[in-house]
Amino acid sequence: MSAPASALAIETRALRRVYRAKPKNVVALDGVDLAVEPGEFFGLLGPNGAGKTTLIKILTTLLLPTSGEVRVFGFDVERQTKQIRRFMNMVAGGEQSGYGILTCREQLWMFSQFYGLSGRDGWRRVDELIEAVGLGEQAGQRVSTLSTGQRQKMNFARGLLNDPWIFFLDEPTLGLDVSAARAVRELVLDWKAAVPGRTVLLTTHYMAEADELCERIAIVDHGRVLAIGTPAELKRRVQRESIFRLVLDRLDSGAAAIAHLPGVLSAVPAAGDGGEGRQPVALDLALDDDAALGGVVVRLGDLGSHIVALEKSEPSLEDVFVELVGRGFADEDEPARRADGGHGDGLDHREEVA
Amino acid sequence: MTAAWRSFSAAARIGWAVDANWTDPFVFLALVVAKPLSAALILVVMVQVISGGNAGPLIAFVVVGSGLWSMVTAGIAGLPLSVLDDRERYRMLKYLYVSPADFLLVLLGRGVGRILVGAVGSVVTLAVGIVVLGIPFDPGRIDWPLFVWGAGWGFVMVVALSVVLAAVCLQVRQEAWSYPEAAAGALFLVTGAVFPLGVLPGPLQALGLITPLTWWIAAVRTALFPGSPSSIGGEGSLFASLAGHVVPTSAELAIALLATGAVGTLASVVVFRLSERRAKDRGLIDQTTGS
Amino acid sequence: MTVPVRAASAAGRSARPAFVGRVTSSPADAAVWSRRQAILTELRAVRGRAYPRVRAALREKSWVLFEILLPFLATSAFVFVYRALQAPPEYVGFVVLGGAMTAFWLNVVWMMAAQLYWERDQGNLELYFAAPMNLMSVLFGMAVGGLFMSSTRAVIVLAIATYVYGVTFSVSEWALLLAVFVLTLAALYGLGMILASLFLMWGREAWQLTQALMEPVYFVSGLNFPVVRLGLLGALAVATIPLAVGLDAMRQLAFGGAGPTSGLLPPGLEALVLVAMTVVFLSLARFFLATLEQRARREGRLTVRWR
Repeated sequence: MSAPASALAIETRALRRVYRAKPKNVVALDGVDLAVEPGEFFGLLGPNGAGKTTLIKILTTLLLPTSGEVRVFGFDVERQTKQIRRFMNMVAGGEQSGYGILTCREQLWMFSQFYGLSGRDGWRRVDELIEAVGLGEQAGQRVSTLSTGQRQKMNFARGLLNDPWIFFLDEPTLGLDVSAARAVRELVLDWKAAVPGRTVLLTTHYMAEADELCERIAIVDHGRVLAIGTPAELKRRVQRESIFRLVLDRLDSGAAAIAHLPGVLSAVPAAGDGGEGRQPVALDLALDDDAALGGVVVRLGDLGSHIVALEKSEPSLEDVFVELVGRGFADEDEPARRADGGHGDGLDHREEVA
Repeated sequence: MTAAWRSFSAAARIGWAVDANWTDPFVFLALVVAKPLSAALILVVMVQVISGGNAGPLIAFVVVGSGLWSMVTAGIAGLPLSVLDDRERYRMLKYLYVSPADFLLVLLGRGVGRILVGAVGSVVTLAVGIVVLGIPFDPGRIDWPLFVWGAGWGFVMVVALSVVLAAVCLQVRQEAWSYPEAAAGALFLVTGAVFPLGVLPGPLQALGLITPLTWWIAAVRTALFPGSPSSIGGEGSLFASLAGHVVPTSAELAIALLATGAVGTLASVVVFRLSERRAKDRGLIDQTTGS
Repeated sequence: MTVPVRAASAAGRSARPAFVGRVTSSPADAAVWSRRQAILTELRAVRGRAYPRVRAALREKSWVLFEILLPFLATSAFVFVYRALQAPPEYVGFVVLGGAMTAFWLNVVWMMAAQLYWERDQGNLELYFAAPMNLMSVLFGMAVGGLFMSSTRAVIVLAIATYVYGVTFSVSEWALLLAVFVLTLAALYGLGMILASLFLMWGREAWQLTQALMEPVYFVSGLNFPVVRLGLLGALAVATIPLAVGLDAMRQLAFGGAGPTSGLLPPGLEALVLVAMTVVFLSLARFFLATLEQRARREGRLTVRWR
């Protein structure tokens, strides 16, 4: 069975996944419809327990859907797993896989063999990737001695061994410090830039990460996709105007002087500002489009005011989430504190001790 | 003392829950019945193959020794497997280590489950030997002081051996699961469990005589089955040439058990502390190995 | 639908040509492998998984004491049991051969059967399933890697014990002896693969059960005595346990097959039993592993991340 010529990178229709659990079954995914184009950097954003990891496990052929249709580049995840595994790879956050007694280089070579590289090609590819991810000095170090950030870079290199056409990243910066997380994000972007036709599916609950990396984002919660769009499109759901805060050295004529300019919806002193006439002056401007700002700046110049600071206020993706759901990421309901240790797949991972 | 007891008992509860499998009757029966009995039956068949039907005293000898040995096999695995389990699978070892409780005490508690399972297995094997195989046993002739003394020191020595193996496992990778069994198998050779020590060459007999478990087996065997063949003595044995008589007395058994047991226990604690120190120095407490 | 390229992601990115490796024209192109490529991948997967075992054995050598010297002493214990019973010398040979073969049985149990269960704990299992290779190759790689230690142990135990205890071999059919040995290993590894899948599904109970059943298996396999002495039980063992039938055949071939060394069935017939076992076990293993994967994917049991 071959894939259609112009297949979507990811296509799901009415995808459902139910876990049998006590006291009652957990619906991890509830009718998910998704369409990701080839070459896209797509994000799944949602709190813990939203179903992100469950979805990625289904896409990476580790889990079967309970119902619905799921295809990766046209290949069915239930019946064509072998084919999918040949062109995809995955990296998860907090991964502790591998064998501590091997060196970083040996570990990666071992995995290269699982993807069919010859022995020599494997060593060559491993050495290239080790340099590319910045682990040159740690190549000969045992895996058990790598720091968390180094380990994740190694995992990232592992994920690239087979030149995947689609790369699944399941919370890849989980547990990493700021610089390590930034390094991993840089690696992802550099890889994407080097091979622009490749697709990335990223799951995360870090809004800034999704905002920075993703071209389109699906916001998920309780197994459902609440909204899909580019970050800008999603934010416009919450706030259609462009909000700016200007700090001026002076504004003798007050906010009214610019409130009636074309494109200006409102211009009011900022909360906490000492009031008109005091310097410096802070104003909150609402514009119906960013382009209107130019006119405001010109008018302020005519009035003899100088802009000391200019800051755009944008809603965050959490604002979008709150708008959609009515609660923040941190305000999880009690039933959402699942026994899944925060991995969002609804599966009770706790082993019962006999 | 209260805090120490609390740590020990909490660890013991966990150890029993994890290792005893008492909630799974099939596994539990396999552990306490099938395993020790099979070990004894291997020897029974070996004896019968050679001696045919006239093997009564020999059968008794091997069954009693094998029965007691099953406690050693199960018991010495307690602490080392706990170290490997908690380090590699549950990733809990580091948390046990940094808790206020004494690390060795916690490990001791953790390993108690297997020792108890082994003890139950010993009792089952001896019972089957007496009831089914007809090993002569007269409860009225039991030397209770020697038995209590021997049983107590036996427990201590099994624990001490387990501590030494735990010390080894702190240093090595996770494929050490089979090390306790290998150690038990090796000790099987020099402790007179299933054949008299006198069969061995002189140097091995000497090794046996300084091994606490040798005296433990002899003491319990003598206490429970007075008059049975001695595993230590015998004509031409090293013991006979050193002591001037063929069969060790109860007093000799008790004193030798105390001396070797005390040295062995002290040595095991020293070895463990050294290993613990080295593990801490090299960051091995929370390492995960595996191949 | 046109997907906007985020300018920030492309502009100023450092060129990392190493990110471009094997070039395929499309996912469909990458998904299609020739038969040769598929077979090579399986063979390379075997090599890949054997690699950490061998490296680890060379890197950390405590196994030399615990896997060779101590087992030799354990085998010696049974030698001395027979000496205490003043048994004919052939029985010492039984014990020595049984002691050597124990190494392979332990390899199957500890290095194969329980391994998938431990791999899941370590987070490797899902990576194995996500890779385009068969799990049987991974298991076989584990066995091959463990073979390094097992073979070393078996050879040294056999060599030292033969020398120290004066065991005399009387082999007339070397080819058959070698074939029986290889077939015993093949059947054992097939059994190991079956156990690996069962352990993974049953969890720690299966592993505990195996630990508990070690001695019973030694008993019915006739590790230290001819299995024919067990009568019907021995016959059942020969029919089902590769170690029993392999040992029985090897003893007959190694020690002349007469008198106390006679076996339950002629060695040639036992070799055929081993062939049948190999075919059946490997087929069952393939079936069980495929069933295991489907079941694990359905129930979500491939990953256990939190303990």
